[in-house]
Amino acid sequence: MTGIPDSPGTASARAPAGRRGWWRRHREGAASLANAAPAMLFLFVLYLLPMIMLLAQSVEGGTLVHYQKALTDGLYVQVLVDTLLIAAYVSLACLLLAYPVAYFLSIAPGWWATVGIIFVLLPFWTSILVRTYGWMVLLGRNGIINRALLDSGLIGAPLPLLNNTAGVLIGMTHVLLPYMIFPLYAVMKRMDRGLLAAAEGMGASGWQVFRRIYFPLTLPGVLAGVTLVYVLSIGFFITPALLGGGKVTMVAVLIEQQIRTFLNWGFAAALSAVLLTATLLVYLVLRRALRSNMQWN
Amino acid sequence: MRRFGEVTALAGIDLAVRPGEMLTLLGPSGSGKTTLLKVIAGFEIPDEGEVYLGSRNVTLAPPAKRDIGMVFQNYALFPHMTVAENVAFPLQMRKVPRAECERRVREALQLVDLPAHGDRLPRQLSGGQQQRVALARAVVFGPSLLLLDEPFGALDRKLREQMQLEVRRLQRRLGLTAVFVTHDQEEALVLSDRIAVMDAGRIAQLGTPQEIYRLPANRFVAGFIGESNLFRAKVVAADSAEIEGGTRVRLPAGAPGAGADIGLLLRPERATQLSAGEVADFTIACKVSEIVYLGETIKYRLQADGGLDVIVRWPFRGSGATLAVGDRVTVGWDRDDMHWIHWS
Repeated sequence: MTGIPDSPGTASARAPAGRRGWWRRHREGAASLANAAPAMLFLFVLYLLPMIMLLAQSVEGGTLVHYQKALTDGLYVQVLVDTLLIAAYVSLACLLLAYPVAYFLSIAPGWWATVGIIFVLLPFWTSILVRTYGWMVLLGRNGIINRALLDSGLIGAPLPLLNNTAGVLIGMTHVLLPYMIFPLYAVMKRMDRGLLAAAEGMGASGWQVFRRIYFPLTLPGVLAGVTLVYVLSIGFFITPALLGGGKVTMVAVLIEQQIRTFLNWGFAAALSAVLLTATLLVYLVLRRALRSNMQWN
Repeated sequence: MRRFGEVTALAGIDLAVRPGEMLTLLGPSGSGKTTLLKVIAGFEIPDEGEVYLGSRNVTLAPPAKRDIGMVFQNYALFPHMTVAENVAFPLQMRKVPRAECERRVREALQLVDLPAHGDRLPRQLSGGQQQRVALARAVVFGPSLLLLDEPFGALDRKLREQMQLEVRRLQRRLGLTAVFVTHDQEEALVLSDRIAVMDAGRIAQLGTPQEIYRLPANRFVAGFIGESNLFRAKVVAADSAEIEGGTRVRLPAGAPGAGADIGLLLRPERATQLSAGEVADFTIACKVSEIVYLGETIKYRLQADGGLDVIVRWPFRGSGATLAVGDRVTVGWDRDDMHWIHWS
């Protein structure tokens, strides 16, 4: 009998019901708390604590002047707006490119799907710096793309593809594309193809099947991918710094400037806080859209 | 009238569904019944042969152009649409005006007894309710043919029986021509006007449930439908045959001449227990070797003294004495209780 401590009969027979009952009810909770402790400590020391210190720096001296500057000075507001816009364009570009790719990966027969996924993953495993320099070689005034277009006579003068917004958009879209492909691929792979056949049997054309059935059913993947790409885009640094050539300023680039060039830690911290808040807001808005649009999910 | 010409993916199917009838394709898995359904629905194109819907040749028409209502095995309700939106879908695809669309959706939901569930999502419904929605969606646009692909498989037994009767009532009320696919023979017997028993891509027999049960055309149908005793026998004279083991029986009317290799089919409920003095065309003394209680009936496996194994099933009456394993009984049946088929 004593070998079964969980049996209610033995427990109440051996100990006052009150305390033992409490322990029994809470033992599991306490145990999982103990299990999670190392991870929580890790997160606190390496993530939460630095963030609190950063936020403290932004209000050092008990003043909100840094925030006032970040949110009212036209120059900095413009940078914030540009950042949000670029992130939106990148998300849209990624969605348009990733949707067909994910679709073909999801319907491709075994071997082709594997090869396709490797091709999507390959740049993923390559350093972002290497890929960004690669784009510089491709996009420059004398880069491979302009050379090819000039030599073929399609254009008379080189296209401005580098050191401007176009270059930043191209580079960021390329880097972030896999983050859009995989959530889409996941929902498409899970898709019940019987539903498509059913819709077709009920008189729907191919386009109607896509618009009324297929696309709505992939919405969870669309929103997951868009959220991921958008949130990552907002804080992007290397690609806009290198491909923008100093002419495209995103918030992350601005923050780096403030610290490295002006040693203005307080303002950089305030900008970081604004960026974090903007990211969280976007995330919450997208999640809300996800919830209300996909109650069925 | 619908005619299905030769289909090589199946094998020489020639089947005409009569207007307003419920025709069941019954067979084990792999018998081709689902393939045949897909050919009818247009999801598969036959290598040879033709499919007619009324007078129209639809062999190559895509599913969307066939005007066929279908209830799928897992219902295939669109999870992101409400019940009403699901039912409205085929109407919208046919560009039915909005007001009429709403009216017909309401009527269809009324028809399947779910008038107040239009705003729910499919996942908020029970299995039986989902089934009804699928049915409403399949009939709402007045299809010229209704296809049902094992629609009751996911339901528990009690609900299944209830839904079977409801589907049958609905089909009769709307005068729908329907083709129903199942591997469940009981379901087929309950639901069908006619049954096409399928085996290895062919139609093994086509007939009413009664014909299929009482007069199976071959060994496959005899073995697949219901329980039966099938004795292999050789015809030795004009009206008698010798069963394996040497027992002689008198043949039912119309049996082939001497020398023929035949099977004699006896349904378990057709044999009766004889008390002393009673006579039948055929009588054997047996020993009870196994008893299975089935509720309203009891099934006995009997070992005849000649070595023959006979299964009988008799209604269980509370008052009557039941047999025990090892008891000796005499059973008998008349020659017309048996049905003969060619052995090959």
